[in-house]
Formats: sequence, structure tokens, C-alpha cells
Amino acid sequence: MLELRLVQGSLLKKVLEAIRELVTDANFDCSGTGFSLQAMDSSHVALVALLLRSEGFEHYRCDRNLSMGMNLNNVSKMLRCAGNDDIVTIKADDGSDTVTFMFESPSQWNLSHSVFFFLCLFVEWLSFLRKGQDKIADFEMKLMDIDSEHLGIPEAEYHAIVRMPSSEFARICKDLSSIGDTVVISVTKEGVKFSTKGDIGTANIVCRQNTTVDKPEEATIIEMKEPVTLTFALRYMNSFTKATPLSSTVSLSLSSELPIVVEYKIAEMGYIRFYLAPKIEDEEEDVKPQV
Amino acid sequence: MGIKGLTKLLADNAPKSMKEQKFESYFGRKIAIDASMSIYQFLIVVGRVGSELLTNEAGDVTSHLQGMFTRTIRLLEAGLKPAYIFDGKPPDLKKQELSKRFSKREDATEDLKTAQAEGDKESIEKFSKRTVKVTKQHNDDCKRLLRLMGVPVIEAPSEAEAECAALCKNGKVYAVASEDMDSLTFGAPRFLRHLMEPSSKKIPVMEFEIAKVLEELDLTMDQFIDLCILCGCDYCDSIRGIGGQTALKLIRQHGSIENILENINKERYQIPENWPYQEARRLFKEPLVSEPNDQLEIKWTAPDEEGLVTFLVNENGFNGERVTKAIEKIKAAKNKSSQGRLESFFKPAVSTSVPIKRKETSEKTTKETAKKKSKPGGGRKK
Repeated sequence: MLELRLVQGSLLKKVLEAIRELVTDANFDCSGTGFSLQAMDSSHVALVALLLRSEGFEHYRCDRNLSMGMNLNNVSKMLRCAGNDDIVTIKADDGSDTVTFMFESPSQWNLSHSVFFFLCLFVEWLSFLRKGQDKIADFEMKLMDIDSEHLGIPEAEYHAIVRMPSSEFARICKDLSSIGDTVVISVTKEGVKFSTKGDIGTANIVCRQNTTVDKPEEATIIEMKEPVTLTFALRYMNSFTKATPLSSTVSLSLSSELPIVVEYKIAEMGYIRFYLAPKIEDEEEDVKPQV
Repeated sequence: MGIKGLTKLLADNAPKSMKEQKFESYFGRKIAIDASMSIYQFLIVVGRVGSELLTNEAGDVTSHLQGMFTRTIRLLEAGLKPAYIFDGKPPDLKKQELSKRFSKREDATEDLKTAQAEGDKESIEKFSKRTVKVTKQHNDDCKRLLRLMGVPVIEAPSEAEAECAALCKNGKVYAVASEDMDSLTFGAPRFLRHLMEPSSKKIPVMEFEIAKVLEELDLTMDQFIDLCILCGCDYCDSIRGIGGQTALKLIRQHGSIENILENINKERYQIPENWPYQEARRLFKEPLVSEPNDQLEIKWTAPDEEGLVTFLVNENGFNGERVTKAIEKIKAAKNKSSQGRLESFFKPAVSTSVPIKRKETSEKTTKETAKKKSKPGGGRKK
């Protein structure tokens, strides 16, 4: 038995929009600690890891560890039927091959209380009427069997971690991809440099550490142990930035010879992390295939 | 060709050993491809109209070049690293099979002539496909083309499939691609079918893992080889009346061909005289392949643009513009192949979650799963 009630239903919509470009089918795993997902893109270059901790849900019930295989486009279709203010409940029974999404529209008239105080009684009566009309929608979706390969991601110490406004990062990726296909990210004492090269020319964008800002989310903070330079495919970076609406800041963790981690924190709930394998300079250094 | 009915036998008895994979998921992987098989396929399908194939001005067939060129580019574009393995000298035992094929081809040539005389289009196509033979010239053309494209070419000492399997065992390549199920009998750890199908057909790649095959069939490698010989291979006849299912049953019961021969009803099953099954077994077990130390590092290099234009456009009448475009694609693909894969950094982990929707092949033999088993493949992802 599984029942998860999330007051901020729109959050799920945003999560789906953030990952469905990268992954088509994935297993959602539920355990006592939370609702999570790990999936790779079809070419096994990028990985997305999502965690929504149980504390973030208004009601969280998961009797045993379960995984539910879903087609993300279909989930997205279902969630599009929910209003932005709706409360979303995810339900599934043991052994069932479907999952149910329940959308509850909150009473729209509650706001009026404070504004039209003198009409209090009248409004009370109205909202009483409305409450009877509150909408509850149930959408049931078929689950699927997905043989997904789970990767173990070790906790690593990164050479450099850059925190910056997520919109800024999205803008940089978008701008660079109009010039080239790959981005070289290098972190030095001076700051973080994003550069690319294409047929029409080159581009370099440098962001310096900047902590003297009005709002903390506008800061750019660079924690560096060692300078690093890595090359990545911009196509993937751009699809990661689809998660921008989830968080006002993004953090990039880099280490030479490790995939980059692009993390968007989800307030009070968890995170969505994207891992991207770097481009390898010398292809003969290719790691031997694993049997 | 290959092992008779092995695909079906595995689908029925070892469904977990075969997995449909997306073409793109082989990104960055080194793949050994059985060249002769591919060339044969190209001669059969590429640009065929009736008994006519693509030819150059001199009238020489160029279907194999066209096929090799476009399909290899497709692999490169998807970031794969193909290496082509060509057949060397066939083992003596195979000569019998080869001469059989030769006589079949002779028959087909006769039939083709009659069909042509009668103007029966369907028969012309049918029989002309059967007359297809891969000549040394075809092989040499393809080798030249591949070298110009910067794709490695390896000449096997004997059977190409055996060499492919050996390369895969030694970790020089990730997998073997062929249409011949022999590759599994030669012990290729990972074997791909339908890799070379045109993208327009949308056939997913079928991946076989020998370890899973053995695990699910509950056989040792030696027993599996015996099973393949019983099913019918290229090296010797099989016993009349024994097909895949019976062979599997017999091997499970008796463990080896020797024991089976001692125990089966010889009246019912006629065992071929002087049946060289031991010899065939030896060929599968210890085929003639190059020594691991002799196997050179397989290298992919930049294409020779001028060489390709001379060979394809000037000598074989390919469209110059198309060839130039294709060369651009090869060069672009070269860039792409430097992308790393996540598996090189993170190791697979076992997920602890139980699928809410129980799989039909669940190990727990509860009533429910038994019930679900009755609809094979019902809930599988397409």
C-alpha cells in the first residue's frame, strides 16, 4: 500500500518537465525515507537522480520498498490535468499494475474572507456552497516493467563546487549552444569560465565569485580545492536546465575524471541531481568494457 | 547457417538471456562485426531490383560497397566503434557444408535461368538471392573501403565468428555483432543481433549474454556446445529427428553427447555414420584464433578523404556530393566518440525496491506469479 499526499502539486509537474526530455521510461522507487528515481538517458551518458523526502509530504505512507515503472510522457500527460494549486495524491495498491493520481482543487473563495470582511457572512455562505463543488479528479495509469540498470554513485569529494543563480546558468548554456556543441568548464581562483568553439567563432563567459548581493540566491560562490577543467556536451546541459523552475540556485560539482553533478535543491523536500560523463580527450584511454 | 532453431529455443527456455536494447545504448562501445555475414546481406538486399544489383560503369557489383559505407557510417554516427573481422581459411569440417551450399547455389543458378526464360519476376528475385556468393573481390573491396574510412579490419586465422568471440573474451571489444548464432557457441560473452539492420526497419538490437544463457538453461559451456551440435551446426550433420527441444531434454538428462549416444534408442534415431561430433566440439571449444598477445590494439583513425573519393567516386561511380557529405559525417562522428559513458565511472548497484507490478518471471513461485506466467511477455516493455 502506498499513499503520498503532496500539497504543492505543481512541484511534481515541474519535476516531470525537468526530466522527461532526458529519460522516457523510469522506475520510481518508494521507501520509508522518500520517493526517488534514478535513470539514465538511452546512450548512458547522463543520469538523473531525484529525491523527495517523506517529510516534505503532508501524508506519506509506504509499507514496503516498492518500485513503479512509468513512462514519463504519460505521467506528464496525467499531471497536466492537475491545476497549479491542486493537492496531488499518488496511490497504489500492492500487486496492482496501476497507479492513481488524485487531484483536489482547493476552495477558491477562501481568499475573499480577509478582503471583503464586511461580506463575511455572505461569503461564508457562498464558500459553503462552493465546498460542495470542490473538484476531486482520479487518474489511473498503467505501470510497466522496466529493466533499469541502477548505478551506485559513491559519495565523492569534489575539486570544485560552484553555486550560482539557476537562471544565470540556464542562460549561459543556451547562449553557448548557439555557437558550439561542447562547453569547457574551468574553475580557477579567478572564477568559473564557460567556453565553447564553433564554426562561426568562439565564446567565453567568466563568472566571478560575488557574495555582496541583496538576496542570497543571487550570489555566486566558488569553493575550490584544486583547479579543474572539463569538457561536456551542451545538449545535455541544456536539458538539465529544464529543472530551473524548481530552484533559484544551482550547484555544479566538478572533479577531474568524474562526471559533473548539476544539482537543483527542492525546498524542504530534497533535490534533483544530474550527472554527466565528461568528454574524454584521448580516446585510447577509454576505460575497458566491463563484463 | 549458424545453429538451427537456437533463437527460438532460447526465447522459450532462457528468456532472460535475451534483451532488446536501443541502438543508441551501444554508444562508445567497441563492437566486433562478422564482415562476411554483413557483406552477404548487403549483396542480397542493397539496391536489388530483380536479379540486378547496383553496379559501376564497368558492370562490377557495388551493392556491398554501398551497404558497407552507409551502415558503417550509421554505426559511427551513433558513437559506436565497429571493427570488422574477415574470414580466413575455413576449417576442413566446414568444407562439406560449403560444398553443399555450392551445389545449392548451382541449383539456384539453373532455376534462375529457367525463371528468366519464363519471365517470372517473383522467381527471378527468389532464385537470384540464392545465387549470391561473396567473392574474394567483394571482401577485398570492403577491406579497402573500411581502411580508407579509418575503421579497423582484422583478418581471422580461420572462422571470423571464433575470432570475434575471442576478441570479446579478451576484453578487446564490448560485444560481437553477427546474425549467426554460432557466436554464442564460440563463447562470445555478449552477442548482438540486428545491429546492422537499416534504421528504417526499426528493429531493436537483441542482446544475448552467454553467462545468462548458461544460467537459465542450467548447462555448462561444454554441455551448451553439445546442445548446439545436436541442434545442427555448420560442421557436421545432426541426428535426424532430434530438434532443439529434444536436444535440450537429452542434454539435461544425460549431460553429454557420448552419454546420449549410449542411452538413446538407435532404432528410432539414426545416428549418422562416422559422425564427427567430437571434431566439431573441438572446433567450437578451441577454434583457431589469434593469440591474445598477437591481437593488436584495435585503432580507429581519421578517414582518408582523397582515397575515399578516388575509390568510390572515380572507380565505382558513386555520387561525388553524397560521398563528400558522408565523409563529413564520419569526421563529425569521430568527435562524438570521445564522449565518456557513465558506466566507466559508476558501477552497477542492486536496487532494493521490489517492483509493485510483479514480473512474470519472478523467482518466488507464488500462485499469483504462476498465474501470470501463462501470458508470456504480456507486461513486457515494448
